Amino acid sequence: MIASSILRLTNDVASGRFADCTRCDSIVAVAFLEWLEHLPVFVTIAESGSIWGYPTILVLHTAGLALVVGSAVVLDARLLGMGRLARLSAFERLFPIMWAGFAVNAVSGFILFAIAATAKAVQAIFWIKLSLIAMALVVTVPIVRIIKGGGEQNAVPARGRVLAIVSLVTWTGAIVAGRLMAYIK
Amino acid sequence: MPVEAFARYLQNTSVSVFLQSQAAWLWPLSETLHFIGLALLIGATGFFDLRLLGFMKSVPLTVARQFMPLALCGFGLNLTTGILFFVAQPYQYVMSWAWWGKVAFLLVAGLNAMFFEMTQGARVLAIGEGEDTPVTFKVVGAVSLIAWFAVLYFGRMLPFFAEIR
Repeated sequence: MIASSILRLTNDVASGRFADCTRCDSIVAVAFLEWLEHLPVFVTIAESGSIWGYPTILVLHTAGLALVVGSAVVLDARLLGMGRLARLSAFERLFPIMWAGFAVNAVSGFILFAIAATAKAVQAIFWIKLSLIAMALVVTVPIVRIIKGGGEQNAVPARGRVLAIVSLVTWTGAIVAGRLMAYIK
Repeated sequence: MPVEAFARYLQNTSVSVFLQSQAAWLWPLSETLHFIGLALLIGATGFFDLRLLGFMKSVPLTVARQFMPLALCGFGLNLTTGILFFVAQPYQYVMSWAWWGKVAFLLVAGLNAMFFEMTQGARVLAIGEGEDTPVTFKVVGAVSLIAWFAVLYFGRMLPFFAEIR
């Protein structure tokens, strides 16, 4: 598989396909993406036509979204004052659900990327989506600390509100960008 | 079949034709809102369902219920955008097994929630922090979780399921 990719790349270079490339290091990236996309497992998923192939990966990605963003919404709402009669640490049991959903989406997302790697990698909206997810994860770290470190407390520290708003905006943004990937090519 | 005739009629009404003509921007916008609504709905409902099942006992049941307005917002968003999808393309939906599956589980989820609010609602107050829930609550929570994920499943499968005949 790797050998055939290298062969294809050599042929591409020889035939002048990359003759006018402005950033020639991207040749390696393109070769990698093509190799990924042509791995038998991803070709099978993409072309099987079975309900258990591509459609099931999409369902898993949507169910994972519900777990991740659904949990985040409840946690953020708590930081913004909803359900304040329960102590902060009572909500820490939502994190395992959130991380389970995240694991499902990291795997299903990687598969969805791999089966169309060369097309998705050049979509600006795909990189915007990944950046928004990265930002959402970055704000989740201090949110975890506030909830888990809350002990018997009910009061939310001042920065909790800001973190909750950034979390809501970035997760929502990731959903918007993800959905737009189907429309903005 | 009368449903098919109704769908054909609806698809030719001026409202439906107008929505079809605006599909280029209306479809991506509505789909995006539908996904945001899904996260709100399943997030808040799932949280309450888990508490009904007896998980996260340190959250009093009444507090878990205080998050339900978020679910209602999500449901309102998804009902609105869902009706919009249906009015624009009724024929495609009534001819899809996946759509009927989605509607069936929506009914299950709705009737289950109505049953809970009408017959069990008052008992919620009696369940405090750290207390387990009665069997009825556990059944309602399990039915709700399964039904909403089934709605999600059939919704996402709409483009892939077989057409009726």
